[in-house]
Amino acid sequence: MSALVSVDWLVLAPALAPAAGVVLVLAGDALAGGRAGRWALPLAAVTLVVGAGLALRGTVAGADAPLRTLCLPAPDGACLWTAGPRTSTLQAAVLLAAAAGLALLHDGRPRPRDGAVTATLLLAATTGGVAVAAARDLGTWLVALELATVPAVALVALRGSRPAVHGALSLLVTSLASFALLVLGAALWLTATGDAAFSRPSAAAAWAVPEQRAVLLLAVTVLVAGLGFKLSLVPFHAWTPQAYATTDLGTALFLATASKLSAVAALLVVAGALVDLGGATTPVVLVLGLPAVASLLLGTVVALRQDDPVRLLAWSTIAQAGWVLVPLTALSDAGARAAAAYVLAYAAASAVAFAVLSRTGARTLEATRGLLRREPLAGGALLIALLVLAGLPPGVIGLVTKILALSAPVTAGVWPVALAGVLAVVLGIAVYLRWVAVLLGAGTTPTALEEPGTGRRRSSVVVLVLGGVVLVVTSALPHVLLASAS
Amino acid sequence: MVVSLLLALPAAAGLWLVSGGRALGVRPARLLTAVTAALTLGLAVAVVVLGAEVDRPWLPELGVRWSFGVDGVSTPLLLLTAGIGLLVALHAWVEVPAGGSPATFLGCLLVVEAGALATFAARDAVLFLVAFEVVLVPMWVLVGRYGDPHDPRARTEAAQRFVLYTAVGSTTMLLGILLLVASAGTADLRALAGGAGLGTGVQLGVAVLLVVGLAVKVPVVPLHTWLPPAHTTAPTAGSVLLAAVLLKMGTYGLVRLPVASVPEGFGVLAPGFAVAGAVGVVWGGLVCLVERDLKRLVAYSSVAHMGFVVLALAAGSQTGLQAALYGNVAHGVVSALLFVLVGGLKHRWGDVDLAVPRPALRETSPRLGFVLVLGLAASLGLPGLAGFWGEVLAVYAAWAPADDRPRVVLVVCAVVAAVGAALAAAYSLRVAGIVWVGDRPDPDVARTPDTSGMERWILAALALAVVVLGVAPMLVMSVTADAVAGVVGAR
Repeated sequence: MSALVSVDWLVLAPALAPAAGVVLVLAGDALAGGRAGRWALPLAAVTLVVGAGLALRGTVAGADAPLRTLCLPAPDGACLWTAGPRTSTLQAAVLLAAAAGLALLHDGRPRPRDGAVTATLLLAATTGGVAVAAARDLGTWLVALELATVPAVALVALRGSRPAVHGALSLLVTSLASFALLVLGAALWLTATGDAAFSRPSAAAAWAVPEQRAVLLLAVTVLVAGLGFKLSLVPFHAWTPQAYATTDLGTALFLATASKLSAVAALLVVAGALVDLGGATTPVVLVLGLPAVASLLLGTVVALRQDDPVRLLAWSTIAQAGWVLVPLTALSDAGARAAAAYVLAYAAASAVAFAVLSRTGARTLEATRGLLRREPLAGGALLIALLVLAGLPPGVIGLVTKILALSAPVTAGVWPVALAGVLAVVLGIAVYLRWVAVLLGAGTTPTALEEPGTGRRRSSVVVLVLGGVVLVVTSALPHVLLASAS
Repeated sequence: MVVSLLLALPAAAGLWLVSGGRALGVRPARLLTAVTAALTLGLAVAVVVLGAEVDRPWLPELGVRWSFGVDGVSTPLLLLTAGIGLLVALHAWVEVPAGGSPATFLGCLLVVEAGALATFAARDAVLFLVAFEVVLVPMWVLVGRYGDPHDPRARTEAAQRFVLYTAVGSTTMLLGILLLVASAGTADLRALAGGAGLGTGVQLGVAVLLVVGLAVKVPVVPLHTWLPPAHTTAPTAGSVLLAAVLLKMGTYGLVRLPVASVPEGFGVLAPGFAVAGAVGVVWGGLVCLVERDLKRLVAYSSVAHMGFVVLALAAGSQTGLQAALYGNVAHGVVSALLFVLVGGLKHRWGDVDLAVPRPALRETSPRLGFVLVLGLAASLGLPGLAGFWGEVLAVYAAWAPADDRPRVVLVVCAVVAAVGAALAAAYSLRVAGIVWVGDRPDPDVARTPDTSGMERWILAALALAVVVLGVAPMLVMSVTADAVAGVVGAR
């Protein structure tokens, strides 16, 4: 086998760690029987954190010398796995977000009885999410993306309750549709470029020929639509609020962060090949820009009316997905960097918000009234997370990533998207400040309304503290995050 | 180093007060705030005297540098901000509004001050924007939480309106800054000053985005509708900061960004801008003639005064810029005086409805009465007081604008603004007539207690500043002269 392709196990480690975790958890479950449920989640979390540590190794590698492996020998020596600093950062973020999801699952009441199955599904989805970020060829990309999606559907379905099954059903239908679209898109890409990899030269060559250009445009359209389901872009967003609201917080956190990170990583693989198209790129900009504008506006407007914090976060996810697409409309390297930085900041803030909800058990905005006084730690973390999402100092990292995101379309002259961004900033501030006002308000709600046993939710506290620290540090030194996303 | 300290000190103390020190009692909190504000003022003076600066990479991805320093344009505003910051800190001895912990209130004041100082000291366009945004959340808290306790709904609405209007403005400005930075290839305001050598089309695009964005903050009619409710509901210290510092960030931004970096583009917009300024003068004056709420009246008079500043900026000449910068500082001092005074009256009376007959201020509380008359006189532009020079020079600058401005439009605007100045005299006398001369003393009505203690010293300091600026305008103008010549001369 090594004659055919070279394999560097250490480079593959970020994806191998969760895969090894699957094996460990299943083996433990087989050996220990029903008692495995107790330690399956912590074991899985440990493998994820180890994987994240190994992924961070790639962030220090230079952008011009990415970690590569699974390379074909000759003649062109293409590598199926290419992880530059940005990819490595996204991989580490996927792994850590999945670990945060596990932490919330661990705190969930009732605690999942089938811990081993839950952990296996989550680890499998994470493996796919990590692999898709480094995939550069159509085959690996498709398989990894599907591996990232299908276990997530099962995860939602597993939560037992009837509405959860409904949520899973709608998620399943959409992910089947999205998979069909992605396969079709990959096939069209292959037809248009004659290249089984996402590479700039072949995309540019195909764009230069009018007949191939039409096919390539169709391929991009279908691929964006397929990824749109995963990213919750309007008009492919309908499953999001339902799935978030009916599942438990740990799974919702996983869907909102790890799943989105891997979807953006997959999108960046496609968008990266579209940078040097040359010639009239307006159709491609339209394909990316229309869902971006629609998500920005619809997501924020609907989020304005939500009283369930999970639904509010679901709709804000839709809006933030639009924000990730905004810099990509510039079709430039700076745009890709801005999108990666944006999704990283968003994921950290979202994880903190979900962790606070898990910690407090709040199911309405009103239940968080005066949280800042009752629980300064949780309230403070939620406050900074909301300000980052709104893009207001002291959540400087949110503002800086928004500046970066708007900078790309302004430089490229994509004004409609930039102007929609202005509107989305203002509406978004209204959305998040509405919640902040509740947080700051006088604590009139008796704490007796909360779920019992919230005092023992230590894993959620760990997530919200670590996430809060990440937000504060990157707000003080935004360069840290931007450098790792470049 | 000194500059970093100047910004870090109030920011750190403020952030600590709103987070770790939330539970601090009112006495230690206000002592800490006052000491911080006093040290900040000292540092501001040191920065100006030493010409201190700091310059290091911040966001290499955007070419943004952590670059702070002062020049002639920013010096008066930096000192004004630090001075007003100290006065609002001292005002905590007069009144700390209910609505939350006093430490949070004072912390928010300090963070607003830090944000304003950073805005005036920033020498990088993107950094300027980030600093500009820093004041938003603390000011929102000040208005929304600590504002007028009588009407929570109006408070929430005023705070929201303030934030959303300002966010529209600053995001529009952000697009302008990004376009400017992308076209000019640098975000350094010193390199951008004097025109970055852009084409006319790009200049116009940048100028439209920047002017519209900053006009919300100034505010320029018709984008001013957030200001009166915010002023009416804000606590006294918040109103003072809003009028004396936050509005200045808008006009300062106009001088720094469109006027200095895209002069041709701004020149195209200048006639429309001048008309908006003149309309603001008259509009504000007319509203003041009929407004019943004294606090709202002072807010509308701010709109009118900012109209003069806008008109002066539009004139495009060296005199115009000087008038704008001077008018900025003068309005900062005069409006601070009036808001401290009116806030004090509101505190005493419960409301400041002019339709309610009250005993004459000159009889019941002569010191307050004197300061009121002084403030109103400065506001109407009486010679020898701070308001005079800004308005006279603004009208003069519009009468004799720069060569590339359409003279007819500006002359008409000058005439309209002069009429507006007459309106200012009318409404000032109206207020003096109602409040100072007052109704006949009713033995049953409680007398208005006169000012004493800390409030007296704050009012005295502001009154002194009003007189000194009016008698010796060269104090400000000599500082700004060179920098202004640099901005205008380079065109």
